[in-house]
Amino acid sequence: MSTFAKIGGITRLLANSSISKVNNTCKLRSLSTTPCRRELMEFFDDEKNWGVQEVKSGRSWKSDELRLKSNTDLHKLWYVLLKERNMLLTMEEECKKETRLFPSPERLDKVEDSMKNLETVVRERNKAYHLLETGEKGERPRKLETNVLGLHYKYKMSEHPIPKHLNTKWKKQYEFYKYDKEVEMFREKLNEKNYLAKKKQHRREFNHVIGLLNRFPNMDMEALKQQYPEVDIEKAKNSRKYGGHFEPK
Amino acid sequence: MRLTNLLFSRVGKYSKDYSNLPDSYIKRAMEQVYWKNPKGPQYRPNAVVQRKKFHFDTERPWSAQFRQENSPNRHHKKIFVEPIKEWSFFRGDRVEVLVGKDKGKQGIVKQIIQERNWVLVEGLNCELKKLGDDKEFAGVYVQSEKPLLVTSEVSLVDPSDFATTGFEWRFTESGERVRVSTRTGRIIPTPPSAEETIDYKTKSTYKEQPKDTVADDVTEVTFEPRLATFEMDLMDKMGIKEDRVPPKSFWY
Repeated sequence: MSTFAKIGGITRLLANSSISKVNNTCKLRSLSTTPCRRELMEFFDDEKNWGVQEVKSGRSWKSDELRLKSNTDLHKLWYVLLKERNMLLTMEEECKKETRLFPSPERLDKVEDSMKNLETVVRERNKAYHLLETGEKGERPRKLETNVLGLHYKYKMSEHPIPKHLNTKWKKQYEFYKYDKEVEMFREKLNEKNYLAKKKQHRREFNHVIGLLNRFPNMDMEALKQQYPEVDIEKAKNSRKYGGHFEPK
Repeated sequence: MRLTNLLFSRVGKYSKDYSNLPDSYIKRAMEQVYWKNPKGPQYRPNAVVQRKKFHFDTERPWSAQFRQENSPNRHHKKIFVEPIKEWSFFRGDRVEVLVGKDKGKQGIVKQIIQERNWVLVEGLNCELKKLGDDKEFAGVYVQSEKPLLVTSEVSLVDPSDFATTGFEWRFTESGERVRVSTRTGRIIPTPPSAEETIDYKTKSTYKEQPKDTVADDVTEVTFEPRLATFEMDLMDKMGIKEDRVPPKSFWY
């Protein structure tokens, strides 16, 4: 009973009307936390919020707050959030269909942010257990691999009933890098391209700093250094672009 | 993806604080993606983005006016924004205008536009705009504040003598960071309206909405540490028993 009382606050996140219905009609089923079934209309927002300009809402759940909650609470909260997200997505689609304004679309981001935080907290707890018991994280393992184009990527490993050397289907599907002259040439060119892009970016930043120095002579130099850490400011001051088109005094 | 993050990071913290919108929403409202491949292993992460560099003005980045100002094929001149080490002007600060027709007048900071080092001061440095005039109707004049640069066009006012002053950030004995007037050595307090948002004046006076969880329920600790994973704990609580031993498997 005590846990039921505790999670009362969390279930309040559900549609207000549905909660009030729980209180009015489901008095006999004292232990059930499921609200009354409203069939498909649970996918839609409260009728009060139809066609309004704005629906006010609070902020999303922070991970620090979720860390205080028990696993059962998190499990329940997940489904509350999932239902809310389904409702919002349905309303968004319906508003699009009816060419109406979907009020307060930031609600979707708030719910999704909460769900993301909740998942990180659950994964944190599981990781802690597995590290304590087995010394491993207990998550799906990943490996740094090189693909046929010679590019590095994180390969997500998967579980198989037979070992690697017997699994011809897997071998055919996943090809990794083997030495190839043409691929080596491609990689050289790609490196060159990346290097040139980086150089260009650096040159652009350098010129921008000269522009700033010319426009704001009383600028805070420390702030400039903080914002453009890669640019050599002394070198920028020695550039012929620094200073106006006038003779120095 | 990294590029969009970089561009998004240009929306200053203090210019979005008042709106109380989540960052992901601002990002979503700003981005101008013509088309984008769906997510999935079978798709390349291709997208056609119509605009990557944004022109920031007095319009807020999530508004329709901002989108209109930044519509595709619309060009703006490059803008140089002076780097500032730390933002020190907040909503509700009393400042003195140093330029323009309201030079020497003091006012309250109404809005912050951090991307351009701008503040709007309530009722000062205004312009009149004539709207809706035609052959029969003379039109109406609308007054609106023009932005002022925090680096050179406004100055903070010392609350002890209501005169302009320079300032620096220092620590109090209790370890709190405050702005201190360099002329008189008095603390320039951060106004309470700095934490004001469109939804509430102060955090304590926030009016709860029907779907909000009550503050006491949020802070209540129900977590009890147990040597079990999330799934094991839930199965225990729900009375689900699992005795099957999984067959041997290989990870690769």
